[in-house]
Amino acid sequence: MHEMSLMGDILQLVQEDSSQKGIEKIGKVELIVGEISNAMPDALRMAFDLFREQNLHLFTENAELIIHLEEAEAECILCGTQYRPSQKIALCPNCQVPSGKVLKGETFQVLSYEGSNE
Amino acid sequence: MKVTLRTDVLTNNNKAAEFNRELFESTRTLVVNLMSSPGAGKTTLLEETVRALTEKYRIGVIEGDLATEMDADRIRAMGAKAVQINTHGGCHLDARMVAASLAEFDLEEIDILFIENVGNLVCPSGYDLGQNHKVAVLSVPEGNDKIPKYSQMFMRTELVLLNKIDLLPYLDFSVEEARKDLSEINPQSELLPLSARTREGLHEWFSWIEGAYLKCVQQ
Ligand SMILES: Nc1nc2c(ncn2[C@@H]2O[C@H](COP(=O)(O)OP(=O)(O)O)[C@@H](O)[C@H]2O)c(=O)[nH]1
Ligand SMILES: [Mg+2]
Ligand SMILES: [Zn+2]
Repeated sequence: MHEMSLMGDILQLVQEDSSQKGIEKIGKVELIVGEISNAMPDALRMAFDLFREQNLHLFTENAELIIHLEEAEAECILCGTQYRPSQKIALCPNCQVPSGKVLKGETFQVLSYEGSNE
Repeated sequence: MKVTLRTDVLTNNNKAAEFNRELFESTRTLVVNLMSSPGAGKTTLLEETVRALTEKYRIGVIEGDLATEMDADRIRAMGAKAVQINTHGGCHLDARMVAASLAEFDLEEIDILFIENVGNLVCPSGYDLGQNHKVAVLSVPEGNDKIPKYSQMFMRTELVLLNKIDLLPYLDFSVEEARKDLSEINPQSELLPLSARTREGLHEWFSWIEGAYLKCVQQ
């Protein structure tokens, strides 16, 4: 997996924005991570801690990473059943045929960050 | 002070992918992103593909690997232009790496560009490279369970080349089961059983490429 490089992308996005706004230090960073987005929350947390330790001057003392998990959700185009997909993502549990479409769970976003100039 | 961004983490990759896509469109280049675990047979398939189609199409290949120039050399030996990207530990190609290697091609002189991604069934599927098509290669010795286990790969590819079917008599792989599993993950996806070794089934793959090429230039 490549959570270190993803964290590099995340912090780059945050820093581009914060430097434009003249913000000196980054506090809390919030992400939305979908269940089927390919990103692993635990590995992201480890990567954040590592980045923080290596770049203490960029972060406030209580900087942390908050991850909002987005559960996967699919809907059957035949019967309308909404279900939480297993590995067989398209398989409707009601019709037992592959008629499901993914509605949610693929999001991987930087939701927000806190900035500080203290 | 709290700042709301709501920005896709892969924004920068997606921008580079868009840049690549516009370049491919303006030069009418068909681009296929081939993904699989290491050893499934991507390079062997590409060798056979270049051998069969090189009279009719001008083919280019981007080879993604952690290290070495070995795969690019194998493709060059078949007579196609090949550029190697070494990711030095990186587990996937991203759109910026592809953009950088495009400088070594004259896309006006290329009809079909294949990108062999780094061998890995997890990470590459999340990265848009600007390709027209994402194709997965799965090989018989890997076993049926790889389709449900790596469902995030197979939900994002539109064609699965089931390679090494010459080994079916010696292993317990079921093509039927693979078809069923794939349809339950991605009903739009096709499964093409073939062997890069015996060349069985390769014609269907070549027809698929020719169909995709026609669609690409007619747009
Ligand atoms: N039996 C058999 N072996 C194959 C076939 N295709 C590739 N191989 C072998 O599988 C190994 C890995 O192939 P390669 O093309 O390097 O895989 P890659 O890592 O996906 O590029 C090589 O030893 C190939 O000769 C096939 O259809 N049948
Ligand atoms: Mg290879
Ligand atoms: Zn249903």
